[in-house]
Amino acid sequence: MEIGGYLGEVLRVDLSSGKTSAEDLSRSFIEKWVGGVGFGARYLYEEVPAGVKWSDPENRLILTTGPLAGSGVYGAGTFNVASKGPLTNLAGCSQANGFFGAYLKFSGFDGIIFQGKASNLVYLLIKEGKAEIRDARHLAGKDVWETEDALRRELGVKEREVSVFGIGPAGEHGVLYSSIVGDRGHLAAHNGLGTIMGSKNLKAVVTYRGKRNFEIKNPELLKEKNEAMFEHAKGFGPFYQWGTGGGFSALYGIGCLPVKNYTTNIFPEHERMNGQYMRTHFEIRPKPCYMCRIAHVKEVTVTEGPYKGFVGEEPEYEQLAAWGPQISNTDLGAVVMLSYEVDRLGMDCNEASFTIGWVMECYEKGIFTKKDLDGLDMNWGNVEAVKTMLNKIAKREGIGDLLAQGVMRASRKIGGEAADRAIYTQKGCTPRSHDHRGGRWAELFDTCLTNTSTIESTWAGVHTQLVDLPTVSDPFSHEEMSTTNAKFSGIRQFDDCLGTCRIASTHPKLQLECLNAVTGWALTLEDAFTIGRRVINQLRVFNFRHGMKKEDERPSKRYGSIPVDGPAQGKNIMEKWDWMVENYYTLMGWDPKTGKPLPETLKKLGLEDLIKDL
Amino acid sequence: MNRVTIELWLWLGNELGKDFESPSKMRSIKEEKVEEGTTIRQLLDNLASRYPPIAQKIFDIKEKKLFPHVVINYNERVISPYIVYDQILRDGDKITILPMYVGG
Repeated sequence: MEIGGYLGEVLRVDLSSGKTSAEDLSRSFIEKWVGGVGFGARYLYEEVPAGVKWSDPENRLILTTGPLAGSGVYGAGTFNVASKGPLTNLAGCSQANGFFGAYLKFSGFDGIIFQGKASNLVYLLIKEGKAEIRDARHLAGKDVWETEDALRRELGVKEREVSVFGIGPAGEHGVLYSSIVGDRGHLAAHNGLGTIMGSKNLKAVVTYRGKRNFEIKNPELLKEKNEAMFEHAKGFGPFYQWGTGGGFSALYGIGCLPVKNYTTNIFPEHERMNGQYMRTHFEIRPKPCYMCRIAHVKEVTVTEGPYKGFVGEEPEYEQLAAWGPQISNTDLGAVVMLSYEVDRLGMDCNEASFTIGWVMECYEKGIFTKKDLDGLDMNWGNVEAVKTMLNKIAKREGIGDLLAQGVMRASRKIGGEAADRAIYTQKGCTPRSHDHRGGRWAELFDTCLTNTSTIESTWAGVHTQLVDLPTVSDPFSHEEMSTTNAKFSGIRQFDDCLGTCRIASTHPKLQLECLNAVTGWALTLEDAFTIGRRVINQLRVFNFRHGMKKEDERPSKRYGSIPVDGPAQGKNIMEKWDWMVENYYTLMGWDPKTGKPLPETLKKLGLEDLIKDL
Repeated sequence: MNRVTIELWLWLGNELGKDFESPSKMRSIKEEKVEEGTTIRQLLDNLASRYPPIAQKIFDIKEKKLFPHVVINYNERVISPYIVYDQILRDGDKITILPMYVGG
């Protein structure tokens, strides 16, 4: 491939016919879409027309890496998964770190496109440019850790000789928020991408390590910029020293920890639940991703409390919040246990935790009885009952069948006041495990307006100066926040095209210089924004084609409610919601009344071919 | 004179020395006496001139404003820095300074 950083081929796997084939990537396609979510967005649009349901074999599951994956940029083993997701019935895009993104390239491919449905459970094996679909019926019912172990055993390989990503019982049983999990604890979690994998009878994808097989145009420049990026990442917030949990208490301080399903913002136990406490009290061992020196991911042994001796992944921020304050649990060891459990089963912790928290609140208020919940005492903080409930959900047993549909569908089915207590966006999925009604309005707004089901245009409203934009000085300003989100929109999607980890690649300009060093390009920051906005508009047109409406871009009643106590008490984001949405639409070049991209916006981004769809 | 409490969280409280008490590993606290009519901006300016870590991480003495990655809570409430700056301190007030945490 004449462009550095690429193999120039994607692997197409037709699970219905059992055939695999390699397809060339054209230079113009690569330059326009770069990789990762860019490739995913375009393939999804081209191959999944209106009318295809998420569960149809015609839906695609698209795994794509980027030009920096495996390039030597620290921690760049990331890949993107794109599909039509089950929670929103719209586009779903999610990234996972680990090793897979690098290994897939070393095995000869920039991406894999799955289509069709296998007649029985299978897995895909990729080695030295060849792919083979293999029987996986013996893996049925295994959790994601057991699946990894079993596959390594039968292939006779050591831990890092292969990268394995797959689904657990949740994905096999069609839980709508199943995730794709691999490399011992990395997840593409949002919008049920593991559910799609399960619907195709695909249990796992295994790729061998191989060796670097693509050109790097300017290795010396890459080395220099990579080192500079590492130094920046080391000093960027608490990640290097304390992991993502290092910001847990800071988020409490601005009212952003989800506490008891948003019924309060008081949680004084936060000091014993944060990353600092964990890393100074529990036994911690590094578990870095591919060539990562930041190594924010660890393994942990609980050293105190009822779960003393339990070994699991170190919970990251989302897990700490999901299995701590959101369910009113104050034992950090129990957080480790529940994080392990939800990952093992192959589910998104965010949707799972907001669903469980909703059940607990409804149980407290007498909306659910113990009998309704199959005999489980779902009192706040009852972590063993939560563990049992997660297992019921994963297998869709009893009440677990209802809860497997996610909190929006479950709460609407119960109706009445239960419906008002659920936290979700009207598109169909929950936010990440924050209380965005605190000092993170930017993320609440973004979560509702994103095209991917997660977030698209925020960096929590700060660090905008890294791309020469002003920071948000007032986190509760409707005007400033919605305007800054629009101006910042694009750079994150560009980042998700590259195959890098956001924690290890914190400086967009240095990251861009690494990209130019690898590819031989001379992209500017403005080019990066343009590419990112192209991806956003591409996904947006896909979503409109699949039935998205402006009314879907709102929070549920509880998600958009006013905090009753804590640091953000009384702050009301909904006061000017419609104004904010129209402001954002206008600044993005979208019709302020419908949210649809205007023809001139699409033309400017080289997306003329999409105009006919709107 | 009014007495106000300054509390710094997490790494913002590192290396401040013995003038600050640490009731827990993540909090550093100091009580300050301020003249009647002192604003929060003036208090931060004064603290930054006396404690180099505050000048390095929290308050830009030259620009007379907070660095971008810092949030201030005034009496346990998140408030816009614009409003905080002009706020005149009263006896018993509490200023909490937090890092603005990206990600999570």
